[in-house]
Amino acid sequence: MNIIVCIKRVPETAEVDLLIDKTGKDVVKSGLVFDLNEWDSYAIEEALLLKEKHGGRVTVLSMGGEESNESLRKCLAMGAEDAIRLSDPAFDGSDGYVTARILAEAIRKLPYDLILTGTQAEDDGYGQVGVAIAEILGIPHASLVNKVEIVDRKMKVHRELEAGLEEILELDLPAALTIQTGINEPRYVSIMGIRKVSKKEITALGASDLALKTEEVGLLGSDIRTEKIFLPAVGKGAELLEGNPEEIASKLFDILKDKGGLA
Amino acid sequence: MSTPEVKFAQQFELYGCYQCGKCTGGCPVSLKSKLNVRRLIFEGILEKGLDRTNEREELWDCTTCKTCTLRCPRGIKPMDLIIGMRSALVEDGHIPKTLIDALESVHKHGNPWGKPKDKRIEWTSGLPRNLKVKDFSQGDRAEFLFFVGCTPSFDPRTQEIAQSLVFNLMQAGIDFGILGNEEQCCGNEIRRMGESGLFEELVEANMKCFEAHQIKQILTSCPHGFNVFKNEYPQEKLTVLHSTQLLAQCLEGGKLSFRQEINKVVTYHDPCFLGKQNGIFDEPRTLIQAIPGLTLKELDRSRERSLCCEGGGGRMWVESSSNTSQRLSEIRVRDAVELGVEILVTACPLCVLTLEDAVKTTGHEKTLQVMDVNELVSIALGRSKTGSQ
Repeated sequence: MNIIVCIKRVPETAEVDLLIDKTGKDVVKSGLVFDLNEWDSYAIEEALLLKEKHGGRVTVLSMGGEESNESLRKCLAMGAEDAIRLSDPAFDGSDGYVTARILAEAIRKLPYDLILTGTQAEDDGYGQVGVAIAEILGIPHASLVNKVEIVDRKMKVHRELEAGLEEILELDLPAALTIQTGINEPRYVSIMGIRKVSKKEITALGASDLALKTEEVGLLGSDIRTEKIFLPAVGKGAELLEGNPEEIASKLFDILKDKGGLA
Repeated sequence: MSTPEVKFAQQFELYGCYQCGKCTGGCPVSLKSKLNVRRLIFEGILEKGLDRTNEREELWDCTTCKTCTLRCPRGIKPMDLIIGMRSALVEDGHIPKTLIDALESVHKHGNPWGKPKDKRIEWTSGLPRNLKVKDFSQGDRAEFLFFVGCTPSFDPRTQEIAQSLVFNLMQAGIDFGILGNEEQCCGNEIRRMGESGLFEELVEANMKCFEAHQIKQILTSCPHGFNVFKNEYPQEKLTVLHSTQLLAQCLEGGKLSFRQEINKVVTYHDPCFLGKQNGIFDEPRTLIQAIPGLTLKELDRSRERSLCCEGGGGRMWVESSSNTSQRLSEIRVRDAVELGVEILVTACPLCVLTLEDAVKTTGHEKTLQVMDVNELVSIALGRSKTGSQ
């Protein structure tokens, strides 16, 4: 079984005080720490678990500059066989559809039975690329997947729906799935593990290798353009509790008690 | 001959073991965990049994207190075997999620607490405003580097230890500086979690940083950092002191005098990484006993026999398989209460956290206080509790 996993390197922003850059269309990235997109770490782990069970090869793909090699290498250290980076200055500014188009053109050149992506990316959060790849390639897809079973050339997948509902779908292979967090426990990648794959070659492909014209990709080829990015204005109604942790906990307790939050 | 079991037996020289069981007898977690050090070595010698490393979640119960290694009459190092087995698990990647988070955080942010690098010096905002601490990363130079450590840098409770030590050092007229946001994890816990590659990277980066800032003498309040710098970093390049050593020297040399009476009965808990592993038993006691009005009582299990608090060896980030209804820190707190003391003093931020939690879970908040010796000393030197001078 040949499994392709599409991954993205993203900045970690949870504990950071973010600033908007001069263009007003992006955040200031200097000083940020980057890592493999969290959803993608579950996708690569799921691919490796399926490979361990059914045999085959896992290939990781990422669209991005040379810095993306870091995340691709992390996947190689986890146990993927091959890594391909799709890199071209013309790709800059690609929207979700165009990104899917670029990835799909690369996937067409490879043998594949299953394509996995994360459900969404931590940075732009579009959640489009996985399902768009499936549409472009004309194969079935399922999103928000939290369980995968493969029997012969068919696949049973569980989808995580709202209100605690779960849906089971049957799909024919080849197919594309977007993987939800929690489907597995992504393995740790040790520094020794990274060192072992540090010399492994990562193939780089550009627009011409994928027979894509520069006007079809990047900002030129995209229908969606970022107009503005901003931090929401501070609203009213929020009360920030101050003090040491014990004082804050005690104030919070009083508020919950006063408002009837405690039975 | 290349199976992992044979490798373990040879690498850790297990063949010398005569199964006396002193290791397991002294192991503080043996009363609450499946971890049986003697048996682990036996299985290692038989060249079987150590193959199912993945199923041995009890390997994460070890606190790396080193009692087994220190007691072994044959000079075997069971603690190193456990760390070696953990390394195999780490390389395999199948380790508890909370440990993965801590290790990845060290790799990405230089600390195991998931905090951004540029917030490392936020603890200094608790210092009096007019007080200027030298910062090597800002070009300042000083005789000593006060290596704060990840826990006192980021944890609100133990930040008070760092703040107290700054006060104490200033009172003693010590020329010291911090590394600011350039400080990163010392690696002591990382090595003990079995992440040897990450440990190597930390040593290399930290040594480069020390050399770049011409740092030759390091001072820590945390025994974990003290241990690793003293014993596991390039020996010839650094002089390493625990804060209690330097302050005891200052006291004896007349550079410090305790003006403030503290009319309390206290006991002292020896941290494993300071006491049994590095032989520093007297300096903290010298400081405590010099405080006017104060009475020091000894716990039955003190000095070399001190009971581990379970904060070491990565245990701050993993509960593992051990029986949580029987925390060793709770036993320790009950011993202190039975002794009739009002303050349980220690000299380690991790011990402070585990013991203070145990004071709360055993319901002794009103009768027993937990303090670092640096905090106690700062009060004796006249520092008011609010942090101002």
